[in-house]
Amino acid sequence: MLELFDDYTLRTVALGSAALGITSGALGTFAVLRRQSLLGDAISHAALPGVAIAFLLTGSKAPLVLVTGAALAGFVGTLAVMSIVRTTRVKYDSALGIVLSVFFGFGLVLLTFIQRRPDASQAGLDRFLFGQAAGLLQRDLVTMAILGGIALLLMLLVWKELKLLAFDPDYGASLGFPMRALDILLTSLLVVAIVIGLQTVGVVLMAAMVIAPAAAARQWTDRLGLGAALAGLFGAIAGVLGSVLSAEAERLPTGPTIVLCVTAIVLVSLLVAGRRGLLWREVRGRRDRRRLRLAAVLADLRALEHQHPGAGRGHSAAVLSVMSGGALSSLQELERRGQVARLAEDEWALTDEGRTEAER
Amino acid sequence: MSELAVEVTDLTVAYGEKPVLWDVDLEVASGVLMAIVGPNGAGKTTLIRAVLGMLKPAAGQALVFGRPYEEQRRRVAYVPQRGSVDWDFPTSVLDVVLMGRYGRLGWIRRPGAADKTAAHEALEQVGMAELRGRQISQLSGGQQQRVFLARALVQHADVYFMDEPFQGVDATTERAIVELLRTLRSNGKTVIAVHHDLQTVEEYFDEVTLLNVRRISSGPVAEVFTEENLRRTYGGRAAFFGRNGA
Repeated sequence: MLELFDDYTLRTVALGSAALGITSGALGTFAVLRRQSLLGDAISHAALPGVAIAFLLTGSKAPLVLVTGAALAGFVGTLAVMSIVRTTRVKYDSALGIVLSVFFGFGLVLLTFIQRRPDASQAGLDRFLFGQAAGLLQRDLVTMAILGGIALLLMLLVWKELKLLAFDPDYGASLGFPMRALDILLTSLLVVAIVIGLQTVGVVLMAAMVIAPAAAARQWTDRLGLGAALAGLFGAIAGVLGSVLSAEAERLPTGPTIVLCVTAIVLVSLLVAGRRGLLWREVRGRRDRRRLRLAAVLADLRALEHQHPGAGRGHSAAVLSVMSGGALSSLQELERRGQVARLAEDEWALTDEGRTEAER
Repeated sequence: MSELAVEVTDLTVAYGEKPVLWDVDLEVASGVLMAIVGPNGAGKTTLIRAVLGMLKPAAGQALVFGRPYEEQRRRVAYVPQRGSVDWDFPTSVLDVVLMGRYGRLGWIRRPGAADKTAAHEALEQVGMAELRGRQISQLSGGQQQRVFLARALVQHADVYFMDEPFQGVDATTERAIVELLRTLRSNGKTVIAVHHDLQTVEEYFDEVTLLNVRRISSGPVAEVFTEENLRRTYGGRAAFFGRNGA
């Protein structure tokens, strides 16, 4: 693995993917908390025609040119969503769907048009669909790192204002903060985070890099700052891992590989993370249920003792099963713990220790 | 006659064609606990939001201590409805209370030691000091309300607008809030609260405004809170006493 990083191409690819993963992961935290996960999907799909138009207008494939086109189109897409919601009776989710498909369809038409043109300079624009890390150059990397760095820096600068926007925008407005401007700022940062990832991950799956790291991080922490940091870390890990894997194995598309990596992180997080982990919850649930069952059997035995005084008498598992169901395995466990004694084949009684436990 | 803390004149707000508030006047003297009472859809929340500049009225204006709200933000605190935010948000009690300091901090600056001291004091005042590190997702409804009140308290304002502070809280919290309102009043503060429980208006508040799109009546509880006025406020739905809310 280490020698990979001596390889110029791979190092570029890995660093570029790390930059995009950190940026989209950290900013995605706010999108997820504000229930705007799908906004990322709309922005990334809406960016496609921007890439094509930028190329058609300039004839250049310089990353800054294409990314600018993508960002403008993505931004126009979000404005379209907002104005549809404001001026019609179409709801937010439908507006997202409309903008996403219309812009994406238009982008596909433009891409096809560009590819049918006779000159050869168009080659490679279709990598914006599913992403291709292998084509990443040093200059792409510099562009991505600078844009991502600026976005993250701005996010940190207005951190407390963004927290207010995400938690309680009305209250923020009452304090005098311009909440609509903050909303536009956060959306713009999200646009930047998305467009710098488009070349590597592709417009189709870029939304996963916004949503998944933040969702995974939410499992591990109840703190906003730590959550954003973790999401950035998860995004970077998935980005590096996915792009290196796809660059090593030929013809493995980068975007889908990265998305599979981030999905693995989400799955692990859902299963094992802290108090929210499904696995621990299940284990805890079982332990609690068993403790309850054992306590119930002990209490039943104590009650039977009261009803049938006389030392040494035992009771059958069947009787106890009537009282609390499936008692036999509990009795065996209690016997192992020394709280119940087996007087005969099917005759159970409390030991002194069991009696103390039952009366606790 | 004491100074007017809040003065609303001819306030009209409409969503589309439908007026939500129609030509509402309101005068609240400094140091008064005022309840705003009315049926659902009467425009109670809208009134607060319009005064606080969160929505643009079609007509009319609101003054706080004789000046527009924009110039008086520091003197006004707001307690939104508890249900208006997502309590699963990843943050702590102390962090939410510190948000009350953001206004005076302004852009970019982060809360410092003085802000934390103020937050501790406010949490102390609402009986939540020992829960300051707790995740807000683990709070009961009453505790959530007290966190919101503490957040408003750290604003060290003179006028407090509260949107249904008693909504769905336990008896302990209700007593704590009443206690807090009285403390605020004895410190010369003004409180304007949307209130739903008609039975406690007389006990908790000095003055009451009956609202149903128009202002039906406003003034000292003893004068305004009459059966006749309530009937005018709530329309044909009579028999208000002995039954909670609207």
